[in-house]
Amino acid sequence: MRCRVLHLVAGLLPVFLLAGCDKGAPPAAPDARPLRILSLTPNITEILFAMGLGDKVVGRSTYCNYPPEAAALPAVGDTMQVGLEKIIRLEPTVAFMVTRRDDVPKRLEGLGIRTVKLQSDRMDQALESIRTIGRETGRPEAAQALIDRIEADLAAVRRRVAGLPRPKVLFAFPMTVGSSRIMVAGRGTFVDELLTTAGAENAYPEKADWPTVGPQQVIAMAPDVVIINATGEDAPPDRVEAIRRAWQSLTSVPAVARGRVHILTETFLTIPGPRVGQAARLLAETIHPELHAEAGKVSMGWHGHAPLRGQELPSYRAPGHAPARGHATRQSDFALSSREGGRS
Amino acid sequence: MAQVGGNPVAVQAAAGPYVEGRDVEFAYPKGPRVLQGLSLRVERGRLACLLGPNGSGKTTLLRIFVGLLAPSKGEVRLAGIRLADYPRGALARRVAYVPQETLAAVGFTVLETVLMGRSPHTGALGFESARDWYAAREALRLTDADAFAERGLEELSGGERQRVIIARALAQEPDVMLLDEPTSFLDIRHQHAIYGLLRRLVKEREITVVCVSHDLNLAAAYADDLVLVSRGRVAAAGKPDEVIRPEVLSPVYETPVEVRRDEATGRPYLLPRPPG
Amino acid sequence: MTPRPFTVGGYVLSIATWLSLWFGVAVVAVVVGGRLWAWDTRLQMENVLGLRLEWVATASVVGAALALAGLAFQALLRNPLAEPYILGVSGGAALAFILSSLFLSVTLAPVFGFVGALATVAIVYAIAQRRGRLEPYTLLLTGVIINAFYGASIMLVTALVRPEQRGDIAVWMMGNIGAFGPQWGLVKVAGGLAAGAAILFALLAKGFNLVAVGEDTAGALGVPVERLRIVTFVVASLVTGASVALVGPIGFVGLICPHLLRMILGPDHRRLVPAAFFFGATFLVLADLLACLWEGASDRALPVGVLTAMCGVPFFIYLLRMRWRRSAEIR
Repeated sequence: MRCRVLHLVAGLLPVFLLAGCDKGAPPAAPDARPLRILSLTPNITEILFAMGLGDKVVGRSTYCNYPPEAAALPAVGDTMQVGLEKIIRLEPTVAFMVTRRDDVPKRLEGLGIRTVKLQSDRMDQALESIRTIGRETGRPEAAQALIDRIEADLAAVRRRVAGLPRPKVLFAFPMTVGSSRIMVAGRGTFVDELLTTAGAENAYPEKADWPTVGPQQVIAMAPDVVIINATGEDAPPDRVEAIRRAWQSLTSVPAVARGRVHILTETFLTIPGPRVGQAARLLAETIHPELHAEAGKVSMGWHGHAPLRGQELPSYRAPGHAPARGHATRQSDFALSSREGGRS
Repeated sequence: MAQVGGNPVAVQAAAGPYVEGRDVEFAYPKGPRVLQGLSLRVERGRLACLLGPNGSGKTTLLRIFVGLLAPSKGEVRLAGIRLADYPRGALARRVAYVPQETLAAVGFTVLETVLMGRSPHTGALGFESARDWYAAREALRLTDADAFAERGLEELSGGERQRVIIARALAQEPDVMLLDEPTSFLDIRHQHAIYGLLRRLVKEREITVVCVSHDLNLAAAYADDLVLVSRGRVAAAGKPDEVIRPEVLSPVYETPVEVRRDEATGRPYLLPRPPG
Repeated sequence: MTPRPFTVGGYVLSIATWLSLWFGVAVVAVVVGGRLWAWDTRLQMENVLGLRLEWVATASVVGAALALAGLAFQALLRNPLAEPYILGVSGGAALAFILSSLFLSVTLAPVFGFVGALATVAIVYAIAQRRGRLEPYTLLLTGVIINAFYGASIMLVTALVRPEQRGDIAVWMMGNIGAFGPQWGLVKVAGGLAAGAAILFALLAKGFNLVAVGEDTAGALGVPVERLRIVTFVVASLVTGASVALVGPIGFVGLICPHLLRMILGPDHRRLVPAAFFFGATFLVLADLLACLWEGASDRALPVGVLTAMCGVPFFIYLLRMRWRRSAEIR
């Protein structure tokens, strides 16, 4: 959902060259109390559950709804606004959030909750955040295991796309009514890194977080493939159709001319968390149709995935447990067959 | 039937009254009855003045004759044809109305205002011909208003504006002119000039004029017929000699009057005697 | 100002002049706006110019519609402050559009917007009419009430949706000519409505003049005042609704253009109607070009509605001072 991106945007201000960058909180004194974790950012929630700390999480942000167990937890706000009374009742001992602001962290610290600010604009920052969480919660090994798994996932994708031609790919969000510009992923963001991992080159040429571009600029960029991340389960039913029609008018864009505009509805594409491997895989398969094991199943042309309504989301389990099922997209049968190691 | 595009030719030539109302009744919605069965006949080519105290219904009657109001009962005819049967445009080409309302100052010049009188003749998009301009200029000349033809309406005094409104009615080249107190703001010279003009129009162009007048003497001096309206009915009608009489006027105006005769014109004039 | 006769020749000449002015500005807008982004291939050039053409066409149609509607409402309500959104039609279109684009259908949102406008016309008429007649004052008051209702409703929707959707609503409410997506079908429909309104108002222009001078005067000179009011109200509301459904509520065009034209041409609606049609188009194309230049320079979008609103303030000050000066001269 775009909400997650807006969280990234909120935290992703233009890079300042500050002297003393925040490298994360200093190591805490060992806390004798049992661990009660408050997570205010979706990717942190996923990381916590992936590290096996799911049962220690007592509160989440309004946007944290993966894994499903997290959705059952009480929601207390987000990185910009929190309900203090709710938080106090939950009695957390430590709070994690991805933000550059100070106001909410200060208020939580004021309540006696150790608050750890994390960054995850880039992949290395995201991995560092996992390490920090491991440190803060006394589970460094779980953190390292998760990091290893993620890096292995990404390496596997890189291997698969090695040697394939690298098309220019534009990663965009759906246009909004009333605006002539769309939001795209600039270079240097972790989505951009995913694109690189997936064997593509970002069509947007400059280093920028989430810039907006108008149709003329899209024409000038001439991407070979366009990926539109249309999340939002409550969007009107004809939204995919509207996106399709809008892009069709840009006839001089190579992606449009060759039918390589893909509308993906998965929400994990923009979450720098444990599912980046899935994200990279999905991007790679979308960008390089030749990866499809059976040529007949190559889906060229326009395709949009229906919103994930009524389909069970995979239940995330810590390493060591068998994965429940594959990720739920229409390509699911292909995805399972080509995955190595059988991990979800 | 009235024809589109010009004054009707098929008119009962001088047969019967030109402006006629029979048993006209009128009440504003949810209001008292203003006209209570009023009958009125004006022959063609005559100057008739409507007199009467305030609130007697004179303005309402005039507005009914223009077609702005519809009577609750009774019938109104122009040139023998029922008012309701006239198409709107044909009615506007036949009847000119000089209302009591003040003109909103919207920025039009005097000439433009007078040209508006030509709009019943100017067609769909309102294109003006040389004929229209001639009529407008002529009307301004007749009302002694051509000196300020190019001035804005806001710059004129009340009296000057009144002359412009009259000129607009003249520019319409109507058969019938209905005027509501056309000289109330004018000085003596212009009062007599306007009434003199009306007389001339009546005589020279056979226009029928019905004019509401507050000034009894002015009416008596110029009108062919006088109609005295009181409380929505006709109290008296006839030539000035018949109407300008103390026994006729005093009860209606509820004030004693004395009537003398002007030796020079032969017309009656009245001197109100304040009570006590 | 010496009055000139209103002749066919003069009419055609003035229309030709305004048309040429618009055409010149439109061509410049298409080319300059397009050239701000470089193109390499002929295909790209065609695509870019095609997009610019569509946007300039949209701006033309909406500008013409709003200027006409503003002129008509000012004549109808006999109020120089009247503008197309004063009777709540834009609120109805906006609310319907917003609800549709959020919950029902994105592609059909403009249609819903227009339907919302139609519904508002019916509602306002039903409330304001007395025995089938529309008095300007009652109409104005009803419009204010309806506007308040729609304003509150839109605020309610904004409060209840997700925060990221609020931004979208806010941006749309500012009015935007360009969209990321084709609009030709809608532009043609709106263009047809605007042209139809122009022809109709040209025929009613005489009546507007007379009604402006006095209601009795107009009636006595053959103007069907009541019919004129209803028809003007409905048609002006429809083109306003179409504009809002197409590009959102772009303000001040409907207010500024008629006044500017009155200053140049005087109060005669026979001259003002065709001028409003073409000048409104030119005005908005120019505004859109400025917004385009801004976007090229700063790489951020500037909604045209913001630009026109900013023009509104100095314009009003100027208008006020002109009136002061004029009334001072008379005294």
